[in-house]
Amino acid sequence: MAASLVGSNPKILSLNSVASATGLRTATVLQAQDIWRDFGGVIAVAGATINVPRGRITGLIGPNGAGKSTLVNIISGAIKPRSGVITFEGVDITAEAAHRIAHRGLVRTFQLSSEFGRLTVLENLLVAAPHQVGESLIGAVLGKRYWQNQEAALVHQARELLIRFGMSAKEEEYAENLSGGQRRLVEIMRALMAKPKLLLLDEPLAGVNPSLGQEILGYLEALRDDGLTMLMIEHDLAAVERVCNPVIVMAQGKVLAQGTLNDLRNQQEVLDAYFIG
Amino acid sequence: MSSAFQFYVTTLLIYAGVDILAAWGLNLQFGTAGLLSFAFIVFQAAGAYTAGVLALGPQTDNGGYQHYIGGYALPFPIPILAAMAVGAVIAVPIGLIALRRLRSDYQAVALLVVSIIASSIATNETELFNGAAGISLVPHPLADQFGGDLLTYQWFYVGFTAAVCLVAYLIVHRVTHSPLGRAFRAMRDNEQAASALAKDITGLRLLAFAIGGALGALSGAILVLFIGTWAPSAWLYPETFVLLAAIIVGGTNNSLGTVVGVLLVPIGFAEGSRFLPEIGHPGLIDAGQWIAIGLMLLIFLWFRPQGILPERKHRYANDGRLVTVLDELAGWLRRSLALIQRSSR
Ligand SMILES: Nc1ncnc2c1ncn2[C@@H]1O[C@H](COP(=O)(O)OP(=O)(O)OP(=O)(O)O)[C@@H](O)[C@H]1O
Ligand SMILES: [Mg+2]
Repeated sequence: MAASLVGSNPKILSLNSVASATGLRTATVLQAQDIWRDFGGVIAVAGATINVPRGRITGLIGPNGAGKSTLVNIISGAIKPRSGVITFEGVDITAEAAHRIAHRGLVRTFQLSSEFGRLTVLENLLVAAPHQVGESLIGAVLGKRYWQNQEAALVHQARELLIRFGMSAKEEEYAENLSGGQRRLVEIMRALMAKPKLLLLDEPLAGVNPSLGQEILGYLEALRDDGLTMLMIEHDLAAVERVCNPVIVMAQGKVLAQGTLNDLRNQQEVLDAYFIG
Repeated sequence: MSSAFQFYVTTLLIYAGVDILAAWGLNLQFGTAGLLSFAFIVFQAAGAYTAGVLALGPQTDNGGYQHYIGGYALPFPIPILAAMAVGAVIAVPIGLIALRRLRSDYQAVALLVVSIIASSIATNETELFNGAAGISLVPHPLADQFGGDLLTYQWFYVGFTAAVCLVAYLIVHRVTHSPLGRAFRAMRDNEQAASALAKDITGLRLLAFAIGGALGALSGAILVLFIGTWAPSAWLYPETFVLLAAIIVGGTNNSLGTVVGVLLVPIGFAEGSRFLPEIGHPGLIDAGQWIAIGLMLLIFLWFRPQGILPERKHRYANDGRLVTVLDELAGWLRRSLALIQRSSR
């Protein structure tokens, strides 16, 4: 009875549609519902459903091969699901191309570093900035005077990030000459240059030295406090414990449980699947 | 200078200009955007054909011995502009077939096939392209202004080609040194990461293909209006490899390096040694030259893969402006001057 009352209340209905039409802030930024994906015989994601709440760092953990990266690939449009629906800020993005999804502010990093090798570190950051006037043919042909101001502002922003991540000395280095950990940093800085609304991080700390890892976590927390929503895949449970709430556990393509890491530690099936083996 | 020698030099210069334009187009596709554009010569051929048939009079002229589309006797420079438009436009279907969903190694194969199909169609289609014989007697643009003074006309055409090269250089430079050029290079280095950063890969590929195609067509138009003939046999797929060799030898994704490469490879090896103005055979490269070019390419790939002039690093000054070659030169001068002053004190 109550449900039907709510459903027939025109005020609530219209509020809801306004919320989705204007992208008004709802509690859930991203919803992936009943996602399936296989590769030949291997079922990588088997009916996973996750909700990413606004303004938090949601952790995504699970054993190797659980389907975490595949799920992130599907959400970011890099691969398509066999079935399931993905909604970002109230809009169905399931069928959208990766660059369209990124254009909406859903930005991801890759588990394996994906730097632009023959671009300098600074250029790796610059290329990520959205809405560049010099990126159209007309803008390019009009020449420097047309895009120089925007470019200078972006260079300034990028250099601030480089300072924060201790990478200023490497500004003019080709990314292909960086160490593994430095590439991870470029990957994260580049994603931040893209001005994301939702940031998907696939093992951002892998290969980064522990003290820098702590700094990065601190930086991610600061970003969260500024309102950035994140979904972070991470194997280092101490890091997950420090910044992630809630935490989602995946195993064999399915979502096993969701909660704070402490709650999860007490659940038998989570223990079986993950903490023990 | 004897007039025979002047003919030789002017013709060589025009050929160099044509090859430089084409190599810039291919370099944009291959060096900057990372597309293995093995059908590139098709753009040059299409541009040449377009300019030729638009400059020619109706088919019934000259006894009606050749068949072609067009025949509008359009005035200069319309045939050239139309050729560029055709080059850019055919880039779209070719690009959609070969680039849209394919991995780069498959792209290369698909484009090679496009090149072979295009030349077989042109060779066998006598109604549209006059078959293997091609077209001839294409009128020289503005030749009537020179009252039959062929040598002066040769020099005029050298100047015209140089001017076109200069404008093309400015445009290519603007593209490669802009955020657009950076997006091309990002796509070249990592397609998946570029698309995750909101770069439309299909759009960027087609754009690089179209700009390069327009440049290739432009080079073909300038060539055909100079030599007056067009035959499909001059534009077979191996011609693309000569340009590719020039780019790799000169320095991939460096416009000036491309110029050096063209002067060394197609001009130095293939045409300089053999070419005399009376023999109007573009593109016929004999076996010995092929071996020489192939060896040179291998030597470079082994010992200096970055080419003679490597890709320039894009540096930014403190105020966030891109450092240009001129800036670097000025800085170098300033430092040397300071050194001289100090030592003379
Ligand atoms: N492109 C692919 N082709 C074939 N199989 C794939 C592909 N991508 C993933 N898989 C398979 O899907 C399963 C899930 O892989 P996924 O990369 O999503 O795991 P993960 O949870 O990210 O693991 P890890 O923690 O090791 O990164 C694995 O069994 C993997 O072998
Ligand atoms: Mg993974």
